[in-house]
Amino acid sequence: MRRAETGSETTDAVVTLRDVRKTYELGGVVEALAGVSLALSRGSYTAVMGPSGSGKSTLLNLIGALDVPTSGDVVVDGRQIATASEAERAAIRGTEIGFVFQTFNLLPRLTAVENVAMPLVFAGVPRDDRERRARAVLEDVGLGDRLEHLPSELSGGQRQRVAIARALAAEPALVLADEPTGNVDTETGARVLDRFDQIHAAGNTVLLVTHERHVAARAERIVHLRDGRIDHVEALDETARGSES
Amino acid sequence: MIDAREAVRIAFRSIRAHKLRSALTVLGIVIGIASVITFTTFGASVQADVLGRIGTTNANDVYVFATSSNSSGFGQVVQPVFTQHDVAQLSSVRGVRRVIPRGTIATSSIALGSTTIARRRVTATTPGTFRNRSIVAGRGFHAGANEVVLNERAVKQFGGNVSVGDSLTITFAGNRSRTMPVVGIVNGTAGQLPVSNFAGRARVYLPLHPFYRTIVRSPTLGVRQSAYPEVTVVTDPTRTRSAKRSIAAYLRKRSDAAQLKPGGTRLVARTSGDFVSQIGSVITRITRFVTGIAVIALVVGAIGIANIMLVSVSERTKEIGIMKAVGAGNRDVMSIFLLEAASLGAIGALVGIPVGLVVAFAATRYVSVAFALAPVWLGIAVAVGVLVGVVAGLYPAWRAARVNPIDALRYE
Repeated sequence: MRRAETGSETTDAVVTLRDVRKTYELGGVVEALAGVSLALSRGSYTAVMGPSGSGKSTLLNLIGALDVPTSGDVVVDGRQIATASEAERAAIRGTEIGFVFQTFNLLPRLTAVENVAMPLVFAGVPRDDRERRARAVLEDVGLGDRLEHLPSELSGGQRQRVAIARALAAEPALVLADEPTGNVDTETGARVLDRFDQIHAAGNTVLLVTHERHVAARAERIVHLRDGRIDHVEALDETARGSES
Repeated sequence: MIDAREAVRIAFRSIRAHKLRSALTVLGIVIGIASVITFTTFGASVQADVLGRIGTTNANDVYVFATSSNSSGFGQVVQPVFTQHDVAQLSSVRGVRRVIPRGTIATSSIALGSTTIARRRVTATTPGTFRNRSIVAGRGFHAGANEVVLNERAVKQFGGNVSVGDSLTITFAGNRSRTMPVVGIVNGTAGQLPVSNFAGRARVYLPLHPFYRTIVRSPTLGVRQSAYPEVTVVTDPTRTRSAKRSIAAYLRKRSDAAQLKPGGTRLVARTSGDFVSQIGSVITRITRFVTGIAVIALVVGAIGIANIMLVSVSERTKEIGIMKAVGAGNRDVMSIFLLEAASLGAIGALVGIPVGLVVAFAATRYVSVAFALAPVWLGIAVAVGVLVGVVAGLYPAWRAARVNPIDALRYE
C-alpha cells in the first residue's frame, strides 16, 4: 500500500479537478457539475456530502474514470481523464482506482479470492501473483478463512470486506467509496468505517461519497456539494491536510 | 489485457452456469457439424470405394467408344462403328502397342453338361484382351481357335463347378450351336471398360475369328469388313497422353467410325484415369451439394449461438459493468464473450464429429461401401465450429463491449 510522505505538508495531489463541468442532454441541458475545483492530496481522507441531485455521483464517475468531463481537467495520479482513450481509462480504473460500491458489486459466480483478483486479471498480473496478492489482501481484511467462499455464502459485512479487498488488490492511488455502509446494518456499517480508517492509516488516499453525516464525519474533511458546485469544505480536525480551492 | 487462460475460464464458467441452455445451443451446432461430417465422410467413402474398383491398373489403356453427344460420356452407345480399317489405322498410331477390338455375338443359351442357362450375348475379342494378372486359371484363347474363356461371375452362374477343360455348348441366335472347351477363367476386370466392372456381370469370351460376324462397308476402303462397337488401345505407358490425343484426332478426322456413327453420338477416347477423374468429380459435386444443404443446419446453429449470447449479454450487463469498473477494457469484454461463443461452437464441433462419423459409418454399412475417412474435413469441421461461434458471437460481444459501465452498475 502506498505510504504518504508523513511529516511534510505535501502538495502531491492524487486527484486534481480544475473547473470541471459536466452537462447531460436529457430533453434539455442538465448541468450536473457546474465548475468544480478540488484536489485530493496523497494519503488524505475526504468525504463528499450533498443531497441527491447535487452532483455526487457525477463527481464520483469522473474521478473514477468512468466518465469524461464536458470541460475542465480531471487528473488522477498525473493522468488526464478528459483526453484519455476508452482503453486508457479502463487501465486507469484498473490500476489507479479501487472502487467500493454500496451494493458490493461482487461477481456472483466467483469466489472471494477470484473476485479480489479480478482487477489484477485485467492489469495483466500473472496468475500466481494475482492469487498470492488476493489472499494477502483478504487476510488483511480478516477474511483469511473465507477465501474460497462465493458471495452468496457470505454475510453483507463480509461481502463488503471482499469488495474493500478487491479495491485494494491493485494498490491503487485512490480508494473510491460510494455509500459503502448503505447496504449493511448499523453495527456492520461501523465496522466497515473502521476498516476505512485502517486503510487511511495505512497511507491510502480515500474518497468517500455519502449522504449520512455520521459516515462523512470519519473523514478529515467534508466537501459539501450543492447544485453541482462546492458549497463549502469543512475541515474536521487538526490533522486535516486538504487543500481548498 | 486479460490473458487467454483466464478468458477461457470465465467463458467456461458462464457456460457451466447454464448447463441446459448451453447444451441446447450446442446441440444446434452438433447437428450441423454432424450432418456435414456424415455427408463428406460418406461421399469420401463412396468415392474411395468406386475409384478403388476402377483402379488405375490399366492406366495405359485408351478406351475408344461412341457415346451420346449430350451425355457426360459414361453411357456407351453400342453400335458397330469401328471397322477393321480403323483398327489397322489405330495400330499404326505412334505410341500404340496393340489394338483390341471388342464386339458382341447374339446367343440364346449356353449349356454345361446338364446345366443350361439363357444368355443373350457373349463377348468376341482378341487374345490380347487377357492380361496375365487377370487370368485366374488356364490361359487366354487363341485366335481362330474353337475355345471359350469365362469370368468368375459366369462360373458362378453355372453353380461354380466349371473348370478349365470342361466342354461348353453355346447356342447362337438362329439355333446354330457349337461345343468348345473352356481354356481359361479370368477375373472381372478382363479388358472391359473400367465402368463396366461395377455391374460385375457374367462374361463369356470367344475369339473374334471364327465367331464374330458383324460386317459393315468401310466408307474409306469401300469394302465390307468386320466392325466393332468398342476398341481398347494399349499404349506405351510413357506415351499414353500423346497417343490418346493422336487417337482422338484420327477418330475425329479420318476414321470410318466418324462416318458410321449414328446421329447424336460422338466418339471418345478415354483412359481409366479419365474415368477415375470424371466419376470422382461427379461424386464430389454430389457430395458438395448435399453438404451445402447440411450447412443450413450449421447456420441455424449459429443463429442459436447468437441468440443465446445476446441473452447472456443482457443478463450479465451488471457483471460487465463491474468488470469495466475494475479495469476491463472494451477488448477484454469483447474477447470474453467471443471466447464463450467460440467455445460453444468448438464444443459443438467436437461432439458433432464423432456423431457424424458414426452416422456415416452406419450409412456406408447400409449401402455396403468401405468406410473411408475424410481427415481434412475433420479439421475443417472444428475450424468451422469455432468460426461459426465467433461469427455468431461478434455482434453480441460488440454489444457487451459497448456497455456503459455507469449505466451497467446501476442496472439491477
